[in-house]
Amino acid sequence: MDASRRLPSLVMAWRNLWRNRLRTILAALGIVIGVIAIAGLGITGSALRYGTAQQFSDITNQATVMPGEDAEQRYLTESQVQSIRGVASNATVIPVKQGRVTISSHTGESYASVDQVTKPRELYSAHKGTIPQPFRTGVLINNETAAYLNVTIGDLIIVGDQSYKVRAIISDGGIGYRDSRVVVSPPALSKQGYSSVMIIAEDGDAAQYLANATKDHFNTEGEVVRTSSYGGLNQRVGSLFSTLNLVLLGIGSISLVVAGVSILNVMLMSTIERRSEIGVLRAVGVRRKDVLRMILAEATLLGVIGGAVGAVLSAGIGALLYDTLYSDPLLVFRWASARYLIVGFCFGAFASVLSGIYPAWKAANKRPVEAIRS
Amino acid sequence: MSVIELDGVVKRYTNGDEEIAALDDVDFTVNRGEMVAIVGPSGSGKSTLLNVIGLLDTPTEGTVTLDGRDVTDLGTDGLTEHRRESIGFVFQAYHLLPIFTAVENVQVPSMWDSTVDRKDRAEDLLRRVGLGDRLTHKPNQLSGGQKQRVAIARALVNEPHIILADEPTGNLDQDTGATILDELTRIKNEENVAIAAVTHDTQLTDYADRTVELVDGVRR
Ligand SMILES: Nc1ncnc2c1ncn2[C@@H]1O[C@H](COP(=O)(O)OP(=O)(O)OP(=O)(O)O)[C@@H](O)[C@H]1O
Ligand SMILES: [Mg+2]
Repeated sequence: MDASRRLPSLVMAWRNLWRNRLRTILAALGIVIGVIAIAGLGITGSALRYGTAQQFSDITNQATVMPGEDAEQRYLTESQVQSIRGVASNATVIPVKQGRVTISSHTGESYASVDQVTKPRELYSAHKGTIPQPFRTGVLINNETAAYLNVTIGDLIIVGDQSYKVRAIISDGGIGYRDSRVVVSPPALSKQGYSSVMIIAEDGDAAQYLANATKDHFNTEGEVVRTSSYGGLNQRVGSLFSTLNLVLLGIGSISLVVAGVSILNVMLMSTIERRSEIGVLRAVGVRRKDVLRMILAEATLLGVIGGAVGAVLSAGIGALLYDTLYSDPLLVFRWASARYLIVGFCFGAFASVLSGIYPAWKAANKRPVEAIRS
Repeated sequence: MSVIELDGVVKRYTNGDEEIAALDDVDFTVNRGEMVAIVGPSGSGKSTLLNVIGLLDTPTEGTVTLDGRDVTDLGTDGLTEHRRESIGFVFQAYHLLPIFTAVENVQVPSMWDSTVDRKDRAEDLLRRVGLGDRLTHKPNQLSGGQKQRVAIARALVNEPHIILADEPTGNLDQDTGATILDELTRIKNEENVAIAAVTHDTQLTDYADRTVELVDGVRR
C-alpha cells in the first residue's frame, strides 16, 4: 500500500495487467517480436559489416604509386622513391621492380613476370615456409610455378641468369596480397627504376591521405604519378551497409507497427470492459489526468516488459549469430551491435506508449454518468 | 444549513425530434444530518435528480448550489474536485474495484492525493461498519451486504458533507437491507452528513426524515 500511496497509477496499472495475464502476455508478445525484428535485423547487418570490414582492412590500408601519363620515364626513379619515403615517413614504403625473365629448373623452363622487392612480408602471404625479411637472397614462388618447375622449398631455380634458393611457397593473391608467380630478391632484375611503390599505412584513411599527399607532391604540372588506393572502398562498403541496415530496420519497424496496433486494440478493449470501473473512479473524484496516467502506465509497462524481453532474446540471437560466424558470442556487445538492442527496446516501448494514448484519452474523457448507468 | 440546493432544475434529453424532460422545474434541498428519500415510479427521473445533485450531470436549466457556492457552470475538473471533497457515492451495484482489497477500495477517492494518507481512517471506517476482520479481503470474497458496507466506508473516507445513494438496498435481501440502512442512519448522526437516497421500496422511507416524490420529472 505504501507503493500505491506514491505511485497509485502504476500500482493500479500493474494489477490490471496481472488480472488479465494471458491477454497481457499476448499483447507484450507482439512487442517482443517487434523488438526482435528490429534488434535482430540490426545486429545481423552489423555482424555482416563486421566480417566484411575485417576482410577489407588488410587492403584498404594500402596505396600504390605508379608512373603517370606525363611522367618522363615509364618507371619510378630512385629519387622519386626517396621523395615518396619523405612524404610517407610514418608508413612502410616498398618499391616493387617488375620484369619478364626466364625462370627454369632442371625439369622445366618458362618466361614469367617477376617481382623484385626487399620487404616481401607485407605484400605476400606464405602458403608454405616463411617469408624472410629482409629479403637478401632467394626466391618465392606460387604453387603453380612450383608444380610446373617441379621444385619445393630449399631447391634451387634459375631466375634470369642466376640461381636462387626457393624460400617459401606463396598464396595466390588473397585479399590484401599481391598476386605474383615469382618474387625474387635483388639484384635479379637489371632494368632501371621501379614499376610501382607500395605504401602500407596505419588504416584506410591514412592510406588515402598519403596517396593524395604523394600526388600533391609530384603532380604540380601534369600527372607525373598516379595512385590507386582502397580508401574509398571502405567508405563505399560502409555506406552500403548503412543502407542495408536502414532497409532491415524498416522491415523490423513494420512488425512494431503491427504490435502497436494490437496494443491499441487490446487497450481499447480493456478500457471498454472496465468502462464502469473507470466511471466509478471518476465519480468518486479521481481526476481525468490520473485516469489517463493509469492507462498510459499500463501501455508503458507492456512496452517496457515486452521491450526488455525482446532485447534480451535479441542479444541471445545475436550472440548465437556471432558465435556461428566468428566464434565469439561476446562480439554482440560491441557498441555497433549493442546499440540495436537499445534502439529495439526504445522503439518497442515508444510504440506501446503511443498506442496507449488514444485509449487512455478516451477512457479519461468518458462521462462518468454514462459509464455507471446500470 | 443546506448542503445542496437545486433551484428550478430542468433536465431535457433529446431523442431524435422527440424531447423529454427527465426533470421539470425541480427545487430540492438537503441539510446536514438529514436523510431524504427520493421515491417515484420507474422513469420518473430519480436517478437523473441524484446525478445532478452529485455533480455527475449538469442541468439544462436552473442552478445547483453546493455548500453555498454556485457550481452550475463549473467545468469537468472543477466538478471532479467538488465530488471528491464534498460528496460520497453509494451505488446499487456496489462498484468496488476487484483488483483492490477492502481497505484499498475505501482509500480510492483519496488515493491520488499525495498530501493525505487515509489508511488509518479507511481501517477505522471498515471497523465501524463491522468489517474489522475483512480488511484485506478482495470484493469477490465478500457478500453483497459486506460489499455495500465497504462502499459506504468508501463514500465516507474524504469526510463528505453529503452521501448520495441510488437504491443502496436494491440488490440486498430485506434483513441485509435493514442492516445497511441502520448503518447509514448511524453514520448520518455520527458524522453529521446529509443523505439523499433513491429507493423503490418502502423500507428505506421508514428510515428517512423526509420523502420527496417524483412523477414524470415533477415533484409532488
Ligand atoms: N442519457 C439519456 N438520454 C435520453 N434519455 C434519458 C437519458 N437518461 C435518462 N433518460 C430518460 O429520463 C427519464 C428519467 O430517467 P431516470 O433514469 O432518472 O429514471 P429513474 O426514476 O431513475 O428510473 P428507475 O426507477 O427505473 O431507475 C427516463 O424517461 C429516461 O428514459
Ligand atoms: Mg434509476
